[in-house]
Amino acid sequence: MEEVIDHKASGLHGAFGHARLGVRVLAPVAILLALLAAGFVGAASSRADAGHSAGTLSLNETGRLHLTSHHGFTLNEQGTTSGTVSGTIYIHLNITSTNRVTAEVNIYPSGSSITGSATASYHPSGGIASFSGTMTVERGTGRYRGAHGTGLSFTGTVQRVNDAVTVRVSGRMST
Amino acid sequence: MALAVALVAVLAPASALAVSEQATLNASFSPDRLGAPTTITFGFHLATTEGTAPPPLTGMDLEMPAGMNYTTTTLGLSICQPALLAAKGLAGCPPNSRLGYGSADVEVPFGTGAGHEIPEVQAVSGPSPKGNLTVLFYANGLYPVYAQLAFSGEVLPDTGPFGSQLATIVPLIASVPGGPDVSVLSVTSTIGPSHLTYYKHVHGRLVSFHPRGVAVPEHCPHGGFPFSANFTFLDGSHTSAQTTVPCVPARHR
Repeated sequence: MEEVIDHKASGLHGAFGHARLGVRVLAPVAILLALLAAGFVGAASSRADAGHSAGTLSLNETGRLHLTSHHGFTLNEQGTTSGTVSGTIYIHLNITSTNRVTAEVNIYPSGSSITGSATASYHPSGGIASFSGTMTVERGTGRYRGAHGTGLSFTGTVQRVNDAVTVRVSGRMST
Repeated sequence: MALAVALVAVLAPASALAVSEQATLNASFSPDRLGAPTTITFGFHLATTEGTAPPPLTGMDLEMPAGMNYTTTTLGLSICQPALLAAKGLAGCPPNSRLGYGSADVEVPFGTGAGHEIPEVQAVSGPSPKGNLTVLFYANGLYPVYAQLAFSGEVLPDTGPFGSQLATIVPLIASVPGGPDVSVLSVTSTIGPSHLTYYKHVHGRLVSFHPRGVAVPEHCPHGGFPFSANFTFLDGSHTSAQTTVPCVPARHR
């Protein structure tokens, strides 16, 4: 698991704390570091709850799923995902037209969940159909409670002979 | 198999030599069962009110009913390359690229007016340069028109009562090299698994199977499943035709 959660850099306090002898030199550096850190953290807000730190999470997931059922225009898929978070992944892939899909995505890392929705263009070509679009992270539970993000990349393929899906999700979400 | 035929009004341009093209369209599902994978058979006839052959056909858009389900079809698991199709005919294509088959009747300018059959029209899955499903048609004419033609249609989303349309550009067919173009009188074709055999490897062995077709909508709209076709001719005139596949009572399915 390669989790990349960017919390507000606690090291900055240390930088200020040791600036006594060279404050003229270190202060601009500290300000620069603070600005850089603020940029990395982005819009992450501090959360008062104990045990849950606010920050941003860089998702970079690859899921491999198999068809469990289909109903109407929807393929119901289940599998596993690896990357930033690992766990079970469920996708309801709804083929809304000959070249568009929507998806409901649920990822269940241990004891937690991340829920999102996606829209994508859909391009069947021979035995493989590919899709490419964006995903919105709508909510989370447990470790990812309050998860939210928009504009994440959502791409993948469908093996048309058995409707197995490979999906890739990447982008940043706040936690 | 339900079959419906409709004759429709004509939209010919107002010109001094205008002829009035007429089109009829027919379509059917086999099996004709709500929600079931099916083979679509469609066909059209072109004529003029004057009894002459219509101008050469240059385009056809076939609109298909909303709710046709492409989700789980296994038609077109392989791609046929247009150059190989043109050079070798169906032998140049993987079996798993086949989508359907049919025939056509054409009229040569120096003909008797009775039309001549092109007995072999094949539909296969082609590359998708624009990301849309692509159907390649191959027509193999031997006599009196010797021509092997490969041309393509794109499956595009549609609106209203129609869910998709097959937009096809029809190439001109010279009657003889350098001669006038032939007129298309009729075409019939299937899109679906009927009489198609696909192959897959199972534990190292090649196993045949029937592909799964596009599924009939799960609900039949009032008046039946609508089909519509728009035809464009070389002289710039247009005509269209509509038909429906009637709703079949559940006890007859």
